[in-house]
Amino acid sequence: MNMKRVALLLLLGSIVVVPVAQAQVKHIEMRVEGMT
Amino acid sequence: MKQHLGRQSGVQNVEVSLLDGKVDVTPKEDGQIDPVQLLKATYDSGVTAAQMDMTARGKIVKDASGNFALQVEPNRSFAFAPNELSKGLESLAGTQTMVTVRGQLYKKPAGKKKADLSAPLKLVILEVQKKE
Repeated sequence: MNMKRVALLLLLGSIVVVPVAQAQVKHIEMRVEGMT
Repeated sequence: MKQHLGRQSGVQNVEVSLLDGKVDVTPKEDGQIDPVQLLKATYDSGVTAAQMDMTARGKIVKDASGNFALQVEPNRSFAFAPNELSKGLESLAGTQTMVTVRGQLYKKPAGKKKADLSAPLKLVILEVQKKE
């Protein structure tokens, strides 16, 4: 029973951690000219 | 221009400030955004991009020609323009360390109206925000 709980906790923990640990472009900022 | 950029793949939100000519692009969570396409879309919308800065998270890799780069997707990486900050990251190449950096991907050459976007963009690291 305890092993099941530990496994469930690990699974939930990985779901939370994986998106945060993703490599990605987080933000892009441009300066433009000629905009009206 | 806002609609034009908003239609690009991987773009979640675009904020345009007419006052100072600043454009903020928020990528989607999946991060499938292509900065070169954004620059092209900017030109297509009739304005000139003067500068593009990017904040990105990824691993440091060394490519076949020996250049160091930030890999943000399995098939997308940005080669570093060497500077003191990029040299400090070279030792992390090939490790699992994730690095968050802010850098300049593009700056319009002085005196030119239109940029040559055929050459690959180089990332000039301005700030190393996190290593984990």
